[in-house]
Amino acid sequence: MLGGYGDDRLGSVDSPLGDGRLGLLALVIALAFGVFLLRLFQLQILEGADLRQRSQQNSVRTLVLEAPRGAIVDREGRTLAANRPAYRVQVIPNELREPDRTYRALGQLLERDAVELASRVGQPTGRKRFQPVELDGDMGEERLARVEAHRFAMSGVMTDMRPRRHYLEDARAAHLLGSIGEIQPAQLQNERFADYRAGEIVGQTGLEARLEEHLRGRAGGRNVIVDVAGREMREVDMIRPSPGGRAILHIDLDLQRAAEAAFESQDPEKPDRMGALVALDPRNGEVLALVSRPTYDPNDFAGGIDSEIWQGLIGDEWVPLQNRAIAGQYSPGSTFKAIVAVAGLAEGEIDPADEVFCPGYYRLGRRTYRCWKRVGHGSVDLTQALVHSCDVYFYQLGVTLGIDRISRYAKAFGLGQLTGIDLPGEKAGLVPTRDWKIRVKKEPWQKGETVSVSIGQGANLVTATQLAVAFSVVANGGQRVQPRILRRLETWDGRLVDEPETPDTTSVGISKNVLDIVSRALTAVVEQPRGTGGRSRVPGVEVAGKTGTTQVVSLDLVKDLEDDEIPLRYRDHAIFAAYAPAEAAEIAVAVIVEHAGEGGGAAAAPIAQRVLARYFEKRREAEGAPPLSVAEADREVEIGSPPLARAGVERVAD
Amino acid sequence: MRIDRRSIQNFDWVLLALVSLLVALGLLNLMSATHSGLEAGSSDIFRRQVLALGVASLAMLGVCVIDYRRLARLAMPIYVASLGFVLLPILMSPATRGAQAWLFDGRVQPSEFAKLALVLALARYFQRNPPTEITRITQLGAPLAIIALPVGIIALQNDIGVALLTLLIGVTFLPFVRIPWPAWAGLGAAGLAGLAAFWSYGLKDYQRTRILDFLDPARDPLSSGYQAMQSRIAVGSGGLFGTGWMEGSQTQLRFLPTQHTDFVFSVLAEEWGFAGSAVVLSLYLVLLLWGLWVARNAKDAFGAMVAVGVVGILFWPATINVAMVLGLAPVIGVPLPLFSYGGSALLAAGIAIGLLLNVSMRRYVF
Repeated sequence: MLGGYGDDRLGSVDSPLGDGRLGLLALVIALAFGVFLLRLFQLQILEGADLRQRSQQNSVRTLVLEAPRGAIVDREGRTLAANRPAYRVQVIPNELREPDRTYRALGQLLERDAVELASRVGQPTGRKRFQPVELDGDMGEERLARVEAHRFAMSGVMTDMRPRRHYLEDARAAHLLGSIGEIQPAQLQNERFADYRAGEIVGQTGLEARLEEHLRGRAGGRNVIVDVAGREMREVDMIRPSPGGRAILHIDLDLQRAAEAAFESQDPEKPDRMGALVALDPRNGEVLALVSRPTYDPNDFAGGIDSEIWQGLIGDEWVPLQNRAIAGQYSPGSTFKAIVAVAGLAEGEIDPADEVFCPGYYRLGRRTYRCWKRVGHGSVDLTQALVHSCDVYFYQLGVTLGIDRISRYAKAFGLGQLTGIDLPGEKAGLVPTRDWKIRVKKEPWQKGETVSVSIGQGANLVTATQLAVAFSVVANGGQRVQPRILRRLETWDGRLVDEPETPDTTSVGISKNVLDIVSRALTAVVEQPRGTGGRSRVPGVEVAGKTGTTQVVSLDLVKDLEDDEIPLRYRDHAIFAAYAPAEAAEIAVAVIVEHAGEGGGAAAAPIAQRVLARYFEKRREAEGAPPLSVAEADREVEIGSPPLARAGVERVAD
Repeated sequence: MRIDRRSIQNFDWVLLALVSLLVALGLLNLMSATHSGLEAGSSDIFRRQVLALGVASLAMLGVCVIDYRRLARLAMPIYVASLGFVLLPILMSPATRGAQAWLFDGRVQPSEFAKLALVLALARYFQRNPPTEITRITQLGAPLAIIALPVGIIALQNDIGVALLTLLIGVTFLPFVRIPWPAWAGLGAAGLAGLAAFWSYGLKDYQRTRILDFLDPARDPLSSGYQAMQSRIAVGSGGLFGTGWMEGSQTQLRFLPTQHTDFVFSVLAEEWGFAGSAVVLSLYLVLLLWGLWVARNAKDAFGAMVAVGVVGILFWPATINVAMVLGLAPVIGVPLPLFSYGGSALLAAGIAIGLLLNVSMRRYVF
């Protein structure tokens, strides 16, 4: 029955197909597999290490755990800068099941345009599909709650929380605290920022910059195994972030608030005052308040600043980003007379009782220098010269002393040089000398310049901080203090890291006796009826101080204008420096009001008064004494206040 | 049905051992490829494969029992029936996976069986018309038509991969014909022209894209270029001894695309390394050469041709699949026989091996 197949057998004895062709097939098959083995060898042995690494890159993802930035608190532990939770919503493009529906829903929940959200994500390809795209980095609790409530219906939408810098006082103390921002490309190349990554947040100004190392903390990280969709499968290892340390300042938030408020206008018609204020403890240099106005809200910087806000700040005529307290340089005006007075006494050129006749002008060679009071002060001694800010008295004294001696004393008081305050960006100011004039102006010193310098005009430039230091020297009997803001550095959980030692004060080498004489005169400036500093009086405390007014432009420009017609930028600066209690000072304040349009007595002294008043109010509370009754306080102020606000205004003439 | 005593004595244990070893390794590998707490039903895949293996084993033994010479007479009817079977999905099934090649809710893939029918039909044809006597190109008309019919129908279902495979299985028989060299050249030229026409008119855009992706993987790292890259990473990270069974990160974290079907060899390469892959490839090579040995020793032309056909049925998908996995060929959806998940493929492979055993055990029968 199988016979039918017999004829099928081919000629070859061995095979019906012929060996040759089968051999060919075998060769082809062997060749193919030979190629495969070679290829396997290439991929697995030769390129194995490299490809294995890529496989790990595939599946191991390192997630940065940001360290919360350390808090900054005032001397009583009240928080100035801390962190608050910022809620973020992100989408993973690959996991969006119904993109259009999801964007529409998110648009409603976030009150944003769905099309804008969609275009933000786009349609990424490759591994980018698995990388989350941020839609909102700080959506607030309410939106978080809304998104969370609907998240189950939106696959691929994730929310998380990150710490964000928060300045509790908003724009108050902004310059002191400073701001943070993404690290700049130039900074990344700096050795100091060697361990920073691009995009990391770093303190850019103020204490945030100064204390960067302490506040930053150390970011942690987690290595996690993720699957192809980026889902976390398990954790390989984790390094916990260590939170940044706490910084405790000498600043007293109560005084800071009082000072800030004093610059803020109560009248909506009138703009806030601009300028600077520094309050410190004259015994040791501890800075109690430091104000610069106009200001900005550092919270705007915390999450990457909006370009519109940034442009506004950069383009602002009044440079709100500058810290005027340490970098605003002004002529000291008549406040400088206190230093000239010390120089005159210490050098033995005058006796406090010596009287000078002020006819309203002073002649030097062929030039006439006028006193701000055209009709003259008549005969004045040192105290009266200071109380009424008589220019002629100090013209004469200045010429007698000569520029060399004046500048030596100015420098001894800390003017024209960095005070060493622990904030970045301090400016040195300028105390003009003969050398300086030759070096910079290439001209010899003119005697007439000495006349201007004696009343704080001319090339003299000081900062509010320097002025506070200089008046502290008078207040504390001859010690120059270094202003300090930082009290203590602690770890986030309160262990001591560093407590900067109080820097040694430098004796300026002036006898206590001389300083006491000037101090009593400065007390008269405030406390004597019709004294120019009368508006800084604090009930129950003796205040010593000196007013000053400096012209911004030559009188010719504005002489035909009424006061309120003068453009703001041509108006005079008002200055006031003071300390109290006069006999044993605990606080010194320097105030500069830019373009006040009024004198130091009228514009600056009341601001200092608010800070001094708050200080002594607190001290009374601390001592358990009842605060003065309102009536009592009012009466005291009334007795001493000048009959006219204008009485305190000085005009300085060339 | 009658089983000769000599047939049992001559049962090809070597072949069975080779296949069993490959299937066992394949199952082990599939277990790892489908192991994951992530996707529900992945263990289902493994269970279904075991079930399919049982059915395939029975089919293999069943095919052994029937003397293949009986099958020779049934070859043409089977071929015609298979054409109808392949046409069925076009007529009734909705499209699945971009191809209309599945029946019964995607459970049965008729084209798998069309390949077997084609081998039987060609073996029968060449039995009647010995290839050694085919000397003129015109004599190739009939066998080429036998090849073209199922290939055309499968291509119509958009299953280009299977159509290509079927074509290649048919082409496996061509080396045995004795046409002169110019005729070979003409045939080659016609083949190239056909390929060019096919590129322009026969391929869908996504299919063209896959081939372009292969030629230039950086073109679009998302699509098949991305798959090929992930596969290469998986293979390479296996190194000499592999990451260990169920330890491959590319596999276990699902970076590999379709790792239980098309890229199942990547799993093997990652977890078993060069050593394991070389062993498996060698087993394959021995199996295929063993198949040619069976063809050489077959007692008649039909048996020899069936053996050659079975070698083709195993060789072409294995070659294309491994080449794709190793980045030597574009990403074509061709599974690896005996390794990839797929009931129809496993059943068809079982029948094919059964045919080979059938021919082998009856080499001394008459």
